[in-house]
Amino acid sequence: MNKELEHSFVASLEQNQNIVHKVCRIYTSDSDSHNDLFQEITIQLWKAYPKFRGDAKFSTWMYRVALNTAITLYRKSKRTIKTSDLDTVNFKIKSEEYDNEVEEQLKLMYVAVKQLNDIEKALVFLYLEDKSYREISETMGISEVNARVKMNRVKTKLKKILNP
Amino acid sequence: MDELELLKKNWKKQEDVLPKLTYQQIYQMILKKSSSIVRWIFIISILEFLLWASLDVVFRLNGMHAKLQKGSIESFGTITTVVYYSILIYFIVRFYLNYKKIETTDSAKVLMNNILKTRKTVRHYIWVNIGFFAFIMMATVGYIIFFTDEFQSQALGNQPPVWLIVVSTLLITLVFVVLIALFYRVIYGIFTRRLQRNYKALEKIDL
Repeated sequence: MNKELEHSFVASLEQNQNIVHKVCRIYTSDSDSHNDLFQEITIQLWKAYPKFRGDAKFSTWMYRVALNTAITLYRKSKRTIKTSDLDTVNFKIKSEEYDNEVEEQLKLMYVAVKQLNDIEKALVFLYLEDKSYREISETMGISEVNARVKMNRVKTKLKKILNP
Repeated sequence: MDELELLKKNWKKQEDVLPKLTYQQIYQMILKKSSSIVRWIFIISILEFLLWASLDVVFRLNGMHAKLQKGSIESFGTITTVVYYSILIYFIVRFYLNYKKIETTDSAKVLMNNILKTRKTVRHYIWVNIGFFAFIMMATVGYIIFFTDEFQSQALGNQPPVWLIVVSTLLITLVFVVLIALFYRVIYGIFTRRLQRNYKALEKIDL
Protein backbone atom coordinates (compact mmCIF):
# COMPACT_ATOMS: atom_id res chain seq x y z
CA MET A 1 0.00 0.00 0.00
CA ASN A 2 1.35 3.39 -0.77
CA LYS A 3 2.66 5.81 1.78
CA GLU A 4 0.26 8.57 0.88
CA LEU A 5 -2.73 6.38 1.60
CA GLU A 6 -1.20 5.30 4.89
CA HIS A 7 -0.58 8.84 5.90
CA SER A 8 -4.05 10.12 5.04
CA PHE A 9 -5.61 7.21 6.85
CA VAL A 10 -3.57 7.45 10.04
CA ALA A 11 -4.02 11.22 10.16
CA SER A 12 -7.81 10.95 9.73
CA LEU A 13 -8.06 8.23 12.34
CA GLU A 14 -5.89 10.16 14.76
CA GLN A 15 -8.26 13.06 14.42
CA ASN A 16 -11.40 10.95 14.82
CA GLN A 17 -10.11 8.39 17.31
CA ASN A 18 -12.67 9.42 19.93
CA ILE A 19 -15.36 7.52 18.05
CA VAL A 20 -13.39 4.30 18.27
CA HIS A 21 -12.55 4.83 21.94
CA LYS A 22 -16.20 5.35 22.75
CA VAL A 23 -17.17 2.14 20.96
CA CYS A 24 -14.43 0.31 22.85
CA ARG A 25 -15.58 1.76 26.14
CA ILE A 26 -19.10 0.48 25.56
CA TYR A 27 -18.09 -3.00 24.46
CA THR A 28 -15.18 -3.74 26.78
CA SER A 29 -14.62 -3.54 30.51
CA ASP A 30 -10.90 -3.29 31.04
CA SER A 31 -8.09 -1.43 29.37
CA ASP A 32 -6.52 -4.55 27.85
CA SER A 33 -9.67 -5.46 25.97
CA HIS A 34 -10.17 -1.81 25.14
CA ASN A 35 -6.81 -1.69 23.42
CA ASP A 36 -7.38 -5.03 21.80
CA LEU A 37 -10.67 -3.93 20.28
CA PHE A 38 -9.18 -0.59 19.26
CA GLN A 39 -6.44 -2.48 17.46
CA GLU A 40 -8.90 -4.70 15.60
CA ILE A 41 -11.14 -1.79 14.61
CA THR A 42 -8.08 0.05 13.30
CA ILE A 43 -7.11 -2.94 11.16
CA GLN A 44 -10.64 -3.28 9.80
CA LEU A 45 -10.82 0.45 9.04
CA TRP A 46 -7.49 0.27 7.30
CA LYS A 47 -8.58 -2.76 5.26
CA ALA A 48 -11.74 -0.99 4.18
CA TYR A 49 -10.01 2.34 3.57
CA PRO A 50 -8.98 1.87 -0.09
CA LYS A 51 -12.67 1.60 -0.91
CA PHE A 52 -13.55 4.68 1.08
CA ARG A 53 -14.61 7.08 -1.62
CA GLY A 54 -14.90 10.20 0.39
CA ASP A 55 -18.51 10.58 -0.68
CA ALA A 56 -19.40 9.98 2.94
CA LYS A 57 -17.84 11.74 5.88
CA PHE A 58 -14.87 9.87 7.31
CA SER A 59 -16.52 9.82 10.73
CA THR A 60 -19.84 8.46 9.37
CA TRP A 61 -17.99 5.69 7.60
CA MET A 62 -16.07 4.97 10.80
CA TYR A 63 -19.19 4.40 12.86
CA ARG A 64 -20.20 1.57 10.62
CA VAL A 65 -16.89 -0.24 10.48
CA ALA A 66 -16.21 0.29 14.19
CA LEU A 67 -19.60 -1.01 15.29
CA ASN A 68 -19.48 -3.93 12.86
CA THR A 69 -16.11 -4.91 14.22
CA ALA A 70 -17.31 -4.69 17.82
CA ILE A 71 -20.56 -6.57 17.22
CA THR A 72 -19.54 -9.09 14.62
CA LEU A 73 -15.86 -9.51 13.92
CA TYR A 74 -14.19 -9.07 17.26
CA ARG A 75 -13.49 -12.16 19.27
CA LYS A 76 -13.42 -11.50 22.96
CA SER A 77 -10.33 -12.75 24.70
CA LYS A 78 -10.69 -15.80 26.91
CA ARG A 79 -11.05 -13.63 29.96
CA THR A 80 -14.71 -13.61 30.82
CA ILE A 81 -16.15 -10.38 32.05
CA LYS A 82 -17.64 -10.66 35.47
CA THR A 83 -20.19 -8.18 36.69
CA SER A 84 -17.80 -7.15 39.43
CA ASP A 85 -15.44 -5.89 36.73
CA LEU A 86 -18.05 -3.61 35.30
CA ASP A 87 -17.19 -0.58 37.32
CA THR A 88 -13.46 -1.01 37.06
CA VAL A 89 -13.19 1.05 33.90
CA ASN A 90 -11.14 3.88 35.20
CA PHE A 91 -10.21 6.68 32.95
CA LYS A 92 -7.99 9.27 34.45
CA ILE A 93 -9.70 12.53 34.99
CA LYS A 94 -7.40 15.08 33.54
CA SER A 95 -9.08 18.40 34.05
CA GLU A 96 -10.11 19.80 37.38
CA GLU A 97 -13.26 21.27 35.92
CA TYR A 98 -14.39 17.86 34.90
CA ASP A 99 -17.38 17.45 37.09
CA ASN A 100 -17.32 14.54 39.49
CA GLU A 101 -21.03 14.29 39.26
CA VAL A 102 -20.85 13.97 35.52
CA GLU A 103 -18.24 11.26 35.75
CA GLU A 104 -20.30 9.45 38.37
CA GLN A 105 -23.33 9.59 36.14
CA LEU A 106 -21.42 8.36 33.12
CA LYS A 107 -20.03 5.52 35.15
CA LEU A 108 -23.52 4.49 36.22
CA MET A 109 -24.64 4.72 32.65
CA TYR A 110 -21.82 2.49 31.44
CA VAL A 111 -22.71 -0.05 34.09
CA ALA A 112 -26.33 0.03 32.91
CA VAL A 113 -25.48 -0.09 29.21
CA LYS A 114 -23.18 -3.05 29.80
CA GLN A 115 -26.20 -5.05 30.85
CA LEU A 116 -27.76 -4.63 27.43
CA ASN A 117 -27.09 -7.02 24.58
CA ASP A 118 -24.64 -6.17 21.78
CA ILE A 119 -27.32 -4.87 19.44
CA GLU A 120 -28.99 -2.72 22.08
CA LYS A 121 -25.60 -1.28 22.98
CA ALA A 122 -25.09 -0.27 19.35
CA LEU A 123 -28.48 1.46 19.25
CA VAL A 124 -27.81 3.34 22.47
CA PHE A 125 -24.37 4.33 21.27
CA LEU A 126 -25.65 5.76 18.00
CA TYR A 127 -28.43 7.51 19.86
CA LEU A 128 -25.99 9.09 22.31
CA GLU A 129 -23.87 10.15 19.37
CA ASP A 130 -26.91 12.07 18.17
CA LYS A 131 -27.45 10.04 15.02
CA SER A 132 -30.78 10.27 13.27
CA TYR A 133 -33.07 7.24 13.21
CA ARG A 134 -32.44 7.06 9.51
CA GLU A 135 -28.74 6.73 10.05
CA ILE A 136 -29.26 4.24 12.89
CA SER A 137 -31.51 2.10 10.71
CA GLU A 138 -29.01 2.17 7.83
CA THR A 139 -26.07 1.29 10.04
CA MET A 140 -27.85 -1.62 11.64
CA GLY A 141 -29.81 -2.83 8.62
CA ILE A 142 -33.23 -2.58 10.22
CA SER A 143 -36.22 -0.44 9.29
CA GLU A 144 -36.48 3.09 10.63
CA VAL A 145 -39.81 2.46 12.34
CA ASN A 146 -38.48 -0.61 14.09
CA ALA A 147 -35.32 1.20 15.13
CA ARG A 148 -37.54 3.77 16.84
CA VAL A 149 -39.69 1.13 18.53
CA LYS A 150 -36.65 -0.79 19.71
CA MET A 151 -35.00 2.38 20.98
CA ASN A 152 -38.04 3.15 23.12
CA ARG A 153 -37.90 -0.33 24.58
CA VAL A 154 -34.22 0.05 25.34
CA LYS A 155 -34.92 3.36 27.07
CA THR A 156 -37.46 1.66 29.30
CA LYS A 157 -35.02 -1.12 30.00
CA LEU A 158 -32.28 1.35 30.95
CA LYS A 159 -34.66 3.23 33.18
CA LYS A 160 -35.43 0.00 35.01
CA ILE A 161 -31.76 -0.81 35.42
CA LEU A 162 -30.93 2.67 36.70
CA ASN A 163 -33.91 2.86 39.08
CA PRO A 164 -34.53 -0.66 40.27
CA MET B 1 -35.91 14.57 32.11
CA ASP B 2 -35.41 11.12 30.70
CA GLU B 3 -32.28 9.35 32.03
CA LEU B 4 -30.97 8.78 28.57
CA GLU B 5 -31.39 12.43 27.64
CA LEU B 6 -29.47 13.42 30.73
CA LEU B 7 -26.72 11.06 29.78
CA LYS B 8 -26.73 12.28 26.24
CA LYS B 9 -25.92 15.71 27.58
CA ASN B 10 -23.04 14.35 29.62
CA TRP B 11 -21.95 12.00 26.90
CA LYS B 12 -20.19 14.69 24.92
CA LYS B 13 -18.27 15.89 27.93
CA GLN B 14 -16.37 12.65 28.24
CA GLU B 15 -14.26 13.37 25.19
CA ASP B 16 -11.58 15.05 27.30
CA VAL B 17 -11.00 11.94 29.36
CA LEU B 18 -10.80 9.41 26.56
CA PRO B 19 -7.34 8.02 25.79
CA LYS B 20 -5.40 9.77 23.05
CA LEU B 21 -3.21 7.73 20.78
CA THR B 22 -0.43 9.33 18.81
CA TYR B 23 0.05 9.15 15.06
CA GLN B 24 2.90 6.70 15.60
CA GLN B 25 0.85 4.40 17.83
CA ILE B 26 -1.95 4.24 15.27
CA TYR B 27 0.55 3.67 12.49
CA GLN B 28 1.97 0.68 14.38
CA MET B 29 -1.52 -0.75 14.63
CA ILE B 30 -2.15 -0.90 10.90
CA LEU B 31 0.92 -3.09 10.51
CA LYS B 32 -0.53 -5.79 12.74
CA LYS B 33 -2.60 -8.76 11.63
CA SER B 34 -6.31 -9.04 12.21
CA SER B 35 -7.66 -11.64 14.61
CA SER B 36 -11.27 -11.23 13.56
CA ILE B 37 -13.63 -14.18 13.29
CA VAL B 38 -13.72 -13.72 9.53
CA ARG B 39 -10.02 -14.42 9.36
CA TRP B 40 -10.43 -17.47 11.57
CA ILE B 41 -13.37 -18.73 9.59
CA PHE B 42 -11.31 -18.37 6.44
CA ILE B 43 -8.34 -20.30 7.85
CA ILE B 44 -10.51 -23.07 9.28
CA SER B 45 -12.53 -23.40 6.10
CA ILE B 46 -9.40 -23.78 4.00
CA LEU B 47 -8.14 -26.43 6.43
CA GLU B 48 -11.42 -28.26 6.10
CA PHE B 49 -11.26 -28.26 2.33
CA LEU B 50 -7.72 -29.61 2.55
CA LEU B 51 -8.65 -32.23 5.11
CA TRP B 52 -11.58 -33.59 3.19
CA ALA B 53 -9.74 -33.46 -0.11
CA SER B 54 -6.95 -35.49 1.45
CA LEU B 55 -9.39 -38.19 2.56
CA ASP B 56 -9.63 -39.31 -1.03
CA VAL B 57 -5.87 -39.84 -1.02
CA VAL B 58 -6.12 -41.84 2.22
CA PHE B 59 -8.79 -43.92 0.57
CA ARG B 60 -6.45 -44.75 -2.26
CA LEU B 61 -3.55 -45.57 0.04
CA ASN B 62 -5.40 -47.97 2.30
CA GLY B 63 -6.43 -50.15 -0.59
CA MET B 64 -10.17 -49.49 -0.52
CA HIS B 65 -9.84 -47.85 -3.85
CA ALA B 66 -7.90 -50.72 -5.37
CA LYS B 67 -10.64 -53.13 -4.34
CA LEU B 68 -13.16 -51.02 -6.19
CA GLN B 69 -10.98 -50.76 -9.24
CA LYS B 70 -10.79 -54.54 -9.52
CA GLY B 71 -13.39 -56.56 -11.28
CA SER B 72 -16.53 -55.42 -12.98
CA ILE B 73 -16.88 -51.92 -11.59
CA GLU B 74 -13.67 -50.37 -12.70
CA SER B 75 -15.44 -47.27 -13.90
CA PHE B 76 -17.09 -46.80 -10.50
CA GLY B 77 -13.86 -45.57 -8.98
CA THR B 78 -13.23 -43.18 -11.85
CA ILE B 79 -16.74 -41.79 -11.66
CA THR B 80 -16.58 -41.25 -7.90
CA THR B 81 -13.25 -39.47 -8.25
CA VAL B 82 -14.62 -37.15 -10.91
CA VAL B 83 -17.76 -36.49 -8.87
CA TYR B 84 -15.70 -35.98 -5.73
CA TYR B 85 -13.42 -33.35 -7.21
CA SER B 86 -16.26 -31.59 -9.03
CA ILE B 87 -18.00 -31.20 -5.67
CA LEU B 88 -14.81 -29.87 -4.13
CA ILE B 89 -14.27 -27.30 -6.87
CA TYR B 90 -17.91 -26.22 -6.83
CA PHE B 91 -17.81 -25.58 -3.08
CA ILE B 92 -14.46 -23.82 -3.15
CA VAL B 93 -15.75 -21.43 -5.82
CA ARG B 94 -18.94 -20.78 -3.87
CA PHE B 95 -17.00 -20.28 -0.68
CA TYR B 96 -14.67 -17.81 -2.36
CA LEU B 97 -17.53 -15.82 -3.90
CA ASN B 98 -19.33 -15.63 -0.55
CA TYR B 99 -16.14 -14.71 1.23
CA LYS B 100 -15.47 -11.85 -1.18
CA LYS B 101 -18.86 -10.40 -0.34
CA ILE B 102 -17.96 -9.84 3.32
CA GLU B 103 -17.53 -6.09 3.74
CA THR B 104 -17.32 -4.24 7.01
CA THR B 105 -18.92 -1.23 5.36
CA ASP B 106 -22.23 -3.04 4.90
CA SER B 107 -24.96 -2.68 7.47
CA ALA B 108 -24.59 -4.91 10.52
CA LYS B 109 -27.35 -7.21 9.34
CA VAL B 110 -26.00 -7.68 5.81
CA LEU B 111 -22.50 -8.26 7.14
CA MET B 112 -23.65 -10.92 9.60
CA ASN B 113 -25.77 -12.59 6.96
CA ASN B 114 -22.83 -12.76 4.56
CA ILE B 115 -20.54 -14.28 7.17
CA LEU B 116 -23.14 -16.87 8.12
CA LYS B 117 -23.67 -17.69 4.44
CA THR B 118 -19.96 -18.32 3.99
CA ARG B 119 -20.02 -20.67 6.93
CA LYS B 120 -23.10 -22.40 5.57
CA THR B 121 -21.29 -23.20 2.34
CA VAL B 122 -18.58 -25.04 4.23
CA ARG B 123 -21.17 -26.82 6.35
CA HIS B 124 -23.00 -27.99 3.26
CA TYR B 125 -19.74 -29.17 1.81
CA ILE B 126 -19.08 -31.26 4.89
CA TRP B 127 -22.51 -32.82 4.84
CA VAL B 128 -22.23 -33.67 1.16
CA ASN B 129 -18.91 -35.30 1.99
CA ILE B 130 -20.28 -37.31 4.86
CA GLY B 131 -23.10 -38.50 2.63
CA PHE B 132 -20.65 -39.31 -0.10
CA PHE B 133 -18.38 -41.32 2.15
CA ALA B 134 -21.27 -43.14 3.75
CA PHE B 135 -22.46 -44.09 0.29
CA ILE B 136 -19.02 -45.30 -0.81
CA MET B 137 -18.65 -47.30 2.38
CA MET B 138 -21.98 -49.05 1.85
CA ALA B 139 -21.35 -49.59 -1.82
CA THR B 140 -17.94 -51.11 -1.13
CA VAL B 141 -19.24 -53.46 1.52
CA GLY B 142 -22.20 -54.38 -0.65
CA TYR B 143 -19.91 -55.07 -3.53
CA ILE B 144 -17.58 -57.23 -1.47
CA ILE B 145 -20.46 -59.28 -0.11
CA PHE B 146 -22.36 -59.86 -3.28
CA PHE B 147 -19.86 -59.75 -6.09
CA THR B 148 -16.36 -60.71 -5.04
CA ASP B 149 -15.21 -64.26 -5.49
CA GLU B 150 -13.32 -64.47 -2.22
CA PHE B 151 -16.47 -63.90 -0.27
CA GLN B 152 -18.75 -66.02 -2.45
CA SER B 153 -16.41 -68.98 -2.56
CA GLN B 154 -15.83 -69.19 1.17
CA ALA B 155 -17.39 -72.14 2.90
CA LEU B 156 -20.80 -71.23 4.17
CA GLY B 157 -19.88 -71.88 7.79
CA ASN B 158 -16.88 -69.53 7.73
CA GLN B 159 -18.64 -66.43 6.68
CA PRO B 160 -20.45 -64.14 9.05
CA PRO B 161 -24.11 -63.67 8.27
CA VAL B 162 -24.85 -60.93 5.75
CA TRP B 163 -27.11 -59.05 8.14
CA LEU B 164 -24.28 -58.77 10.64
CA ILE B 165 -22.01 -57.17 8.08
CA VAL B 166 -24.73 -54.78 6.95
CA VAL B 167 -25.65 -53.81 10.50
CA SER B 168 -22.06 -53.30 11.59
CA THR B 169 -21.36 -51.19 8.50
CA LEU B 170 -24.39 -49.08 9.27
CA LEU B 171 -23.30 -48.73 12.89
CA ILE B 172 -19.76 -47.74 12.01
CA THR B 173 -21.06 -45.20 9.50
CA LEU B 174 -23.47 -43.81 12.07
CA VAL B 175 -20.81 -43.46 14.77
CA PHE B 176 -18.55 -41.76 12.24
CA VAL B 177 -21.25 -39.27 11.24
CA VAL B 178 -22.24 -38.50 14.85
CA LEU B 179 -18.61 -37.90 15.85
CA ILE B 180 -18.04 -35.50 12.99
CA ALA B 181 -21.28 -33.68 13.70
CA LEU B 182 -20.30 -33.30 17.36
CA PHE B 183 -16.86 -32.07 16.47
CA TYR B 184 -18.30 -29.39 14.23
CA ARG B 185 -20.85 -28.31 16.77
CA VAL B 186 -18.10 -27.65 19.26
CA ILE B 187 -15.67 -25.92 16.88
CA TYR B 188 -18.20 -23.71 15.18
CA GLY B 189 -20.21 -23.20 18.28
CA ILE B 190 -17.20 -21.38 19.67
CA PHE B 191 -16.78 -19.22 16.60
CA THR B 192 -20.30 -18.37 15.63
CA ARG B 193 -22.27 -18.45 18.88
CA ARG B 194 -22.03 -14.72 19.46
CA LEU B 195 -22.58 -13.96 15.79
CA GLN B 196 -25.69 -16.15 15.63
CA ARG B 197 -27.04 -14.60 18.80
CA ASN B 198 -26.55 -11.05 17.54
CA TYR B 199 -28.01 -11.88 14.17
CA LYS B 200 -31.11 -13.30 15.84
CA ALA B 201 -31.40 -10.21 18.05
CA LEU B 202 -31.24 -8.00 14.96
CA GLU B 203 -33.76 -10.09 13.09
CA LYS B 204 -36.14 -9.97 16.01
CA ILE B 205 -36.27 -6.17 15.83
CA ASP B 206 -37.67 -6.33 12.33
CA LEU B 207 -40.22 -9.06 13.03
